[in-house]
Amino acid sequence: MRVNPNPLADLLATLGQNQQQINTDLQEIASGLRVNAPSDDPAAAAMLVQNADQTSEADQYLRSIGSVQAELQNADSTLSSVTTTLQRAISLGTEGANGTLNSADRQAIAVEVQGIQTQLLSLANLSYQGSFVFAGTATQTAPYVLDATSPSGVRYVGNSNVNQLTLGNHFSVQTNLPGSQLFSSPGNDVFQAIQDLITNLQSGTNIPTALSEVSNAYNHINAQRVYYGNAINQLNSQQTYLNSDTTQLAQQQNTLGGADLPSVIGNLENEQVSRQAALEAMSNTLQTNLFNYLK
Amino acid sequence: MSSLNASLAAALSGLTADRGALEATTNNVANVNTPGYSREVPVLVASDPIVVDPLTLGTGVTLQSIESVRDPILESQIQQETQTQGQNDAQVSALQQAQVNFTNNTGDIGTAISNFFDSINQLSASPADLSVRQGVLTAADNLATSFNQVANNLSAQRGNLGLSVVQTVGQINQLTQQIAQLNSQISSLENVGQSGGTFVDQRTQLIDQLSSLVDVSVIKSDNSLTLTTASGTALVAGQQSFQLQTQLNSSGMQEVFAQGKDITSTIVSGQLGGLLAARDQHLPALQTQLDTLAAGIANAVNAVQTGGYDLNGNPTGSTDSKGNPQTPVYLFNPPPATGAAASLSVAITDPSLIAASSDGTAGSNGNAEAMYALSSQAIVAGQSPTDYYSGIVANVGNLTSNATAQQSASNLVLQQLNDQRASISGVSLDQEAANLMRYQQSYAASAQIVSAINTMMQTVINMKVS
Repeated sequence: MRVNPNPLADLLATLGQNQQQINTDLQEIASGLRVNAPSDDPAAAAMLVQNADQTSEADQYLRSIGSVQAELQNADSTLSSVTTTLQRAISLGTEGANGTLNSADRQAIAVEVQGIQTQLLSLANLSYQGSFVFAGTATQTAPYVLDATSPSGVRYVGNSNVNQLTLGNHFSVQTNLPGSQLFSSPGNDVFQAIQDLITNLQSGTNIPTALSEVSNAYNHINAQRVYYGNAINQLNSQQTYLNSDTTQLAQQQNTLGGADLPSVIGNLENEQVSRQAALEAMSNTLQTNLFNYLK
Repeated sequence: MSSLNASLAAALSGLTADRGALEATTNNVANVNTPGYSREVPVLVASDPIVVDPLTLGTGVTLQSIESVRDPILESQIQQETQTQGQNDAQVSALQQAQVNFTNNTGDIGTAISNFFDSINQLSASPADLSVRQGVLTAADNLATSFNQVANNLSAQRGNLGLSVVQTVGQINQLTQQIAQLNSQISSLENVGQSGGTFVDQRTQLIDQLSSLVDVSVIKSDNSLTLTTASGTALVAGQQSFQLQTQLNSSGMQEVFAQGKDITSTIVSGQLGGLLAARDQHLPALQTQLDTLAAGIANAVNAVQTGGYDLNGNPTGSTDSKGNPQTPVYLFNPPPATGAAASLSVAITDPSLIAASSDGTAGSNGNAEAMYALSSQAIVAGQSPTDYYSGIVANVGNLTSNATAQQSASNLVLQQLNDQRASISGVSLDQEAANLMRYQQSYAASAQIVSAINTMMQTVINMKVS
């Protein structure tokens, strides 16, 4: 059988393939990536798109948690001040309910409770980074204004709307409680209770009734605080989850698209050895033919 | 009765034949590196004997012809595989260029989509914050720009492929002209009973080159050769070649014409077939997918945007706060029916016009939440934006890797076929050296005989008549 007498073209093609593989290996080593173009592994490339999106989403959720966390903590500690203030009002009211006090003493206490009223008004108008926290979604104006015509002495100008914020897949939190639910809840109206306490202290009648109103309001605020406590806890645990999720996504990204350096370097060495061998064999064998021996 | 003169003639025929055979060897050695050259072998036959009763006497040797050794079936297989290779090469290089647009990096469409929806989530967390709102506009602008860039790159690439089509058609015309000329030279040789020899080699070489450019069918008759495309368009008929033309069509694409007829869609193989497939099928499919994605996002975002209130509490839909009709405030300019990706643009520059609010107050994020929810909703052909985009990436990756795999497979097949051809037609220096030796020796032997006959003649001449 006659064989191809000039195998040089074939050998060069094989050397070319060998060189191509070496180039690919070098690129993988240089970039640290196995998937440098979609055609390197189309399925992995598509999953890397998803992975990048999920990573970027998780990072954003963490940023968004950062923006609302401080606001919620601020609201919670403000409500804590409200309860302290209401406690002070209760103890003043209890003092005023003591039958041994004269009218002048009760007037003095009433003045002190008026101070508390002002304090509560300022607490209810808490603003954080330019937004009024207890105004529902009408965050651009102070929700409580003094109004002598109102029975409670103040008027709520916010709304009763709440915001939900998505902070994960199928996870969202309510980011505010409106003043209408906190301070102006019918039956537990903080300002009405304080106003009644002031009026009754001044008149010296029905002080215990007013006291029980204040104490109801106090209980209501305490109960509502649970919402903030829960929300802050949820944010913290979501933060922990997202952090570990980000780590996992990074691992997945590396598994999908990262170069397996030890094996790439191993391949590279093998290819270099076989290239060397092929070159030497070619240079030795292709030099001789029968003409060399005809004398 | 035999004569010394007859022997001398026989010996001389040996000398002539050996010299001729040696010429074939010389030519083979000289062409050892000529591409497409088929080795020549001398065809030696014993000369017709003469009958001189009662003897039949040989009259030496005749060098009948010098023939090239080739396998026509193998050659047609090589031509076919060369077409496939040409097609694959053109497709692979086009697709590799196209897939760069979809390679994962910080400016790709996938990242821009993520960043855009991330900015909406940030808006949802701080709906009244102007700098956050500005961030949404910037992200929307980046999204539009990345769509524009990729769409423009793909159209530019299609334009460049059109230029390659023109160049390829030029090369095809040149080759068919050369082949027609060779046809005429070969047939004039063959008409006088001679072998076309190296002209045939040259023609085969040119047909191989032509095969890498376009799908060629070879029809051989007695001493002429006809070339057509696979669908039957004549390229060469005997000594005449038919030129292909290119012409811009209504959408600015170069189309291929033969004798006034548009044959663009019938060319499926060779480099021209590959170029046309990339330009008219693969790249347009990618463009359509991009348009679907861009239009899907823009329309869904606009639908939510026009259902809320801007930072100042004004409704963004088609009726204003007093119930009068107004132009809706879009976030993206509503995309056209075709070319959405190339023309995607942001409609507003005032960040306060983004409708984050669902109740008219600045602190409401209800509409921003609805807009953010789009990121995981089936708003693009039944898929979420990122799912659809990752589908495009998988698609372009598969196209490219399949074409590359076909390219390597066809390279291997071609290499093997060429190997086979070389084993039949290639010049072996060992063999030529052996032939050289053989012809040299037989030449020397024939010469020896001539000199022997000469001696015998002398003997006869010097005979003294006694």
